[in-house]
Amino acid sequence: MNNNSSFFSLSEASKALREGSVTSLELTNACLERIAKDNPELNAFLEVFSDATEQAVQADLRRKSGEAHPLLGVPIAVKDNILIEGRHASSASKILEPYIASYDATVIATLKEAGAVLIGRTNMDEFAMGSSTENSAYGVTKNPHDLSRVAGGSSGGSAVAVASGMALGALGSDTGGSVREPASFCGVVGLKPTYGALSRSGLMAMGSSLDQIGTFTKTVSDAELLFTALCKKDPLDSTSIDLSLFPQTPIKKRIGVPRHLLTEGIDPDVAEVFEKTLHTLEKEGYELVDVELPSAGLALAVYYILMPAEVSANLARFDGVRYGLSLTGDSLFEDYAKTRGEGFGPEVRRRIMLGTYVLSAGYYDAYYRKATEARRLIGEELAKALEDVDAIITPTVPSPAFTIGEKSDPISMYLADIFTVTANLTGNPSISIPMGTVMRNEISLPVGIQLTTPHGGEQKLFTIGRDVEAAVL
Amino acid sequence: MISKEEVTRLAELARLSISPEEVETLQKDISNILSYVGQVNTIAITERKGGDIFPQNIMRPDEVYGPNSPVAGKRDALLAALPEREGDYAVVRKIITKDE
Repeated sequence: MNNNSSFFSLSEASKALREGSVTSLELTNACLERIAKDNPELNAFLEVFSDATEQAVQADLRRKSGEAHPLLGVPIAVKDNILIEGRHASSASKILEPYIASYDATVIATLKEAGAVLIGRTNMDEFAMGSSTENSAYGVTKNPHDLSRVAGGSSGGSAVAVASGMALGALGSDTGGSVREPASFCGVVGLKPTYGALSRSGLMAMGSSLDQIGTFTKTVSDAELLFTALCKKDPLDSTSIDLSLFPQTPIKKRIGVPRHLLTEGIDPDVAEVFEKTLHTLEKEGYELVDVELPSAGLALAVYYILMPAEVSANLARFDGVRYGLSLTGDSLFEDYAKTRGEGFGPEVRRRIMLGTYVLSAGYYDAYYRKATEARRLIGEELAKALEDVDAIITPTVPSPAFTIGEKSDPISMYLADIFTVTANLTGNPSISIPMGTVMRNEISLPVGIQLTTPHGGEQKLFTIGRDVEAAVL
Repeated sequence: MISKEEVTRLAELARLSISPEEVETLQKDISNILSYVGQVNTIAITERKGGDIFPQNIMRPDEVYGPNSPVAGKRDALLAALPEREGDYAVVRKIITKDE
């Protein structure tokens, strides 16, 4: 059993630990063996923590002394943009190569309190900007289903860690789909909670009005377990909310399908798997209704105005004075320009420039103001559509994982986020669940289905999500 | 299409050194992205009061952090992250010069 225990679901591991049929040290060693074997090829981890087994021993001692948190002793991987005190945190960027985190992110403090084993920090697109983990300064993360393909991104390392048994769960961050898209590509469950449900304190800011920490797990129930452990209002994040304030309504077993968004741009075999899943849900007693989201077609355009604008402001803090890389030029201006020009990779520079453009005098009204208005419209339309149905359903991504190097043009890469960005613009919770596979060059690749519910509607995501899981089995 | 001069000016505003080759790539990329995101101009701006989807102006109690606060004792760790440091100060370049 020891050899396979890294492929336990989180709930199975939690149960086995409680019953004493496995120890945290055994689980952790099983994950470490998997990492030693597969990580050199997959590049999911930027660092495996040398004290992981020591943490596991501590967790086993805590259990002996009577502690029983469901995450006690469970190995969890952490995206490299979430701070763990005293450890490197680089956001996969050269500009933060020397940086050691000064404090714990709130989600990390919660995991430590629960006794989870933090096994390592995972690879990502630099500062979470990308959909493939090709933008990491430390090499691409490969898809475990096909090594010639991307893992997705930006949280690619965390998705791969869970998909290949290197951790039983993982944390990521989702600004425009960075948890759900890699989850879809790697065949795991990716949850982006309601904006504000999990504290962002200690998460490196990318687009502050869009960022949310999310989870990678093998099952929907595992996502619920991890989410429940981490969800709490945090005084250190002024946008964190008390999720219990949202009214809960009974499930109607009605799901909305925005047909008008699904007419083009989707791989035919992905559409086929999607329709098959819908059909099975109907047999399970769900009623499927067409919903209209008239402005949703603008979501990606809106996102690529608001996100770079926030990026350009948030990344102004990397000035070579406070932390990280610090290069010297002939003047103060050159100190900044050199540090930032050499420290940031091409995609980060592109987005900072784009954000600077849309916020500059003369263009603000044409871009930022219009985008803000469109965002409001998209939110209102989604809220209205969700009054009549429990959830909106779409494929998570229009295609399976693409090959490494395939998307050299920025816009073709951005289009991978077409179905995921809406939930970030509106703050709704959204989950990607494996719905089946499609064949590419005789290799079967996983694809995900995405459910979106009203704010605070995580319970509905989990309930319907379990039915989706059962439907695709 | 935005001009090379505009790209150079943006890089200055953003405090980024970029190579001449990158100016050309960025000119093309930024122009393409702007033409894609320009579709938001089909939206009419309507003045409405309220209705924002996110809560506004969240305040927190004006309390002094005590010894049990999660931020207590972090001062030294924050100072330790400074690239160049003298005592408890960050070393920065002198920015005020005499008029010539």
